[in-house]
Amino acid sequence: MTALDVAGPSAGSAEDVAARAPRRAFPAERACAVVVLVAMLIFSVWSLSMLDFSWGNIQSSWNIAVKVFSRMGPISLPGPEDLFSLIGITFGIVVLGTLAASLISIPVALLAAANTTPAPWLRPVGRAIGVITRAVPDVVLALAFSLTFALGSPLPGIFALGIHSIGMISKLFADAIENSDDGPRLAIRAAGGSRAQEFWSGVFPQVLPSWIATALHRFDINLRGSAILGYAGVGGLGYAMKVAFAEFPTGYGRGLGIACVIFVMCVVLEIVSSTIRRNLLGVQPLGRGLGDRIVRAATKNRPAPAQRVAPRGEVDVHRMLRRPWTRDRVRDTSWTATGLLVVVAAWFLTDIDFSQVQWQFVPRTIESFWPPDLGSYSFADFAQAMLVTIQVAFAAALLSLVFSLVFGSLAARNVAPSGGVRNTFRVILVIFRGVPELVLAIFLIMVTGLGNQAGVVALAFGGIGLLGKLIADSFEEVPNGPERALTAAGASRAQRYLAATWPQGLPSLIGNSLYLVDTNIRSATILGIVGGSGIGFYLTNASTVLTLHGQVTTLVLMVIVTVLAVEGVAAWMRRVFR
Amino acid sequence: MNSTTISPVIRLSGVSKDFGSTRALSGVDLTVERGEVVVLLGLSGSGKSTLLRHLDGLELPTRGDVEVLGRSLPKLKAHELRRVRARVAMIFQQFELVPSLTVLENVLTGALARLKGPRLGLWAYPKQLKLAALTHLDRVGMLEKAYERADQLSGGQQQRVAIARALMQSPEILLADEPVASLDPESSAQVMRLIREIAADDGLTVVCSLHQVDLALGWGDRIVGLRHGEVVLDTPAMGLSKSQVMEIYGRVATSTAELSAIESELRDAEFAAQATDGIR
Ligand SMILES: Nc1ncnc2c1ncn2[C@@H]1O[C@H](COP(=O)(O)OP(=O)(O)O)[C@@H](O)[C@H]1O
Ligand SMILES: [Mg+2]
Repeated sequence: MTALDVAGPSAGSAEDVAARAPRRAFPAERACAVVVLVAMLIFSVWSLSMLDFSWGNIQSSWNIAVKVFSRMGPISLPGPEDLFSLIGITFGIVVLGTLAASLISIPVALLAAANTTPAPWLRPVGRAIGVITRAVPDVVLALAFSLTFALGSPLPGIFALGIHSIGMISKLFADAIENSDDGPRLAIRAAGGSRAQEFWSGVFPQVLPSWIATALHRFDINLRGSAILGYAGVGGLGYAMKVAFAEFPTGYGRGLGIACVIFVMCVVLEIVSSTIRRNLLGVQPLGRGLGDRIVRAATKNRPAPAQRVAPRGEVDVHRMLRRPWTRDRVRDTSWTATGLLVVVAAWFLTDIDFSQVQWQFVPRTIESFWPPDLGSYSFADFAQAMLVTIQVAFAAALLSLVFSLVFGSLAARNVAPSGGVRNTFRVILVIFRGVPELVLAIFLIMVTGLGNQAGVVALAFGGIGLLGKLIADSFEEVPNGPERALTAAGASRAQRYLAATWPQGLPSLIGNSLYLVDTNIRSATILGIVGGSGIGFYLTNASTVLTLHGQVTTLVLMVIVTVLAVEGVAAWMRRVFR
Repeated sequence: MNSTTISPVIRLSGVSKDFGSTRALSGVDLTVERGEVVVLLGLSGSGKSTLLRHLDGLELPTRGDVEVLGRSLPKLKAHELRRVRARVAMIFQQFELVPSLTVLENVLTGALARLKGPRLGLWAYPKQLKLAALTHLDRVGMLEKAYERADQLSGGQQQRVAIARALMQSPEILLADEPVASLDPESSAQVMRLIREIAADDGLTVVCSLHQVDLALGWGDRIVGLRHGEVVLDTPAMGLSKSQVMEIYGRVATSTAELSAIESELRDAEFAAQATDGIR
């Protein structure tokens, strides 16, 4: 007996079945989305080909690099005193900038969160503040405010980080508020509490752990990006590196040494901040950096211990008036004290001198950004530059996508042929992520003398670490029923991957790739400032001169529109391919 | 005593409340005298929570008037409303303590209406308020837990802390919205007894919603039954038996679905009663 026999005579012939089968449904919106995706892929390939990665070009940059390495001095560090003061300044700038942004983010988040906003029309205002501050690169802010401060002063850096970081921090703060339990707040309202009391007693204690975790996470990001602030004349390690790289060939050894210091500092402080997040707050570090990963691996399967307080002896009301020094209280108090100490130390390390600030420039600087204008350029010039930046972003994303598809797939438990392969590729991805891509970019730009190509390579490098991990995670999260069904039907490993894993992982792959394009556009803008290309070129030129600030506004608006467009497309894709 | 003893402390007249197309309350008239202990009885969705929230000005009626402690709530400005709320305490089914704060600080939040500006941390409250809070904790048997985090307590313990927080207001009216619906039978009995004792000792006016008939009987002075946002029963509890209440419920139930819901509730109540008998 065969299967066909079972179906019986009424089933008819194969052609008959084909004729009766329903046509494949293909909704118009989905078709549109596919067309857009293909168009973006073609655009990426074209961008990559426009950037002249020809063999001759690679060879000549390789020759330049070889020449540089052969002629530069040995890798060296500044003297210990200089080194510690540089580290201190960079650390202090990042601490104070992040702190300032966190404090400003509180009222912004209160406006933006649905359950605390004083009036519904203020919500978009809060969100807009977040979007705008996030879109203006910190380097641009630092350059723009450099007139107000002496060269090498830490203040423009604090200012720049303080404004730019509001975007991410206020968004996450607002999310935390919206995710908090409304009940305690209503209980305080029911007892006659005012709005402010509702917030500080009912909401704030609930969101504080997540707020601290957010601030620490942003601290890590700001530290990774701090090298770039040196390009705007902000003192610290980044500035010392810039100065060193400006001296060829003698300074290159020192520049490389400083780059290593920045790298080590990033990793060490990331470990510290992840440990705090884990131990103090019970928040799993979810960041992409090396330190986060080490902490996650080291603390796996160790739940935070619960503590009980058992007062000794007789309890009476007057005795209980004094709060006992339990382990919890000692711990909380010492963490608070340490935090305050770090802030005070940061204040002194940066050695802020307010007497140097030219306060009269502050209002004029702020005013100078309005209205937006084009200066002596045409809109076509700016559009052309924006296109170059977008090309860099897409080209880098394409390179990242190709490599991370391979690396990420092999790092997924359900795809990798063996545990050993999986772990190897997980480690490779961690290494990719550990390198601060902006430091890498500066280095490549310096060494090869190329702008866009070096930028693409650096961005692609960082992108592999990010996208590879996201791909690996999303493949591992795919429901494994279909895979098991195919295995049971005798499919090979490769067949299972293509027929079961891929289709299920595709929606998040698309979303993650677009997210990468989004962050790449921001990074490519900044790289343009270092490498003198794309929209960054015009930004550098315009931000240092007060009368040209109108151009900065125009350029930043163009970046905002581009990023918002990518975010919009990403949101649409996620909906269509869900 | 003064004039407030003459007029009722709570007076609802023709109160209706619509949420969009849902009518949560419809034409409710209710008067509660000072010192009365009233049980609001009704199935889930009958409007008990909504009614209680009106008594604290957390909702304003779509139609009709809510008068509490001599003030007409819909007419009050925000700060006047807060002053009324300070005299009316509320306890909730889910306790609604701030999980990461200590028990003592949670109790102290009950005094916020008497303080100016926001407070954060125990040191921000004056010493005599802390003493008062500890006294209230002692009264509900939670003194030794004063410095534990609220989320480390059991449900019954959390509800006691919530009662201490309510006492911190020195309230004249105590509202309780299904205070024991999330508790096991033993803690339920303890918490209900505690509320009753405190109400008697402090001469509080109490409005407490319940959906278990057996808990309501013999606990309150008066039983008010709600159905579809309407008052369908308003009777002294004295001498009322479970079957009498269920009979009234049964008579007002108009659909078979409602009748079967009531019947299953009756079965649950009997089962719970047997279970507690078994423990004894
Ligand atoms: N905030 C609200 N928005 C919309 N509908 C509500 C709201 N609160 C209550 N309701 C509706 O009003 C009715 C009564 O609810 P509720 O007062 O919570 O009943 P109970 O407390 O007796 O279970 C229900 O139909 C409920 O869905
Ligand atoms: Mg309810």
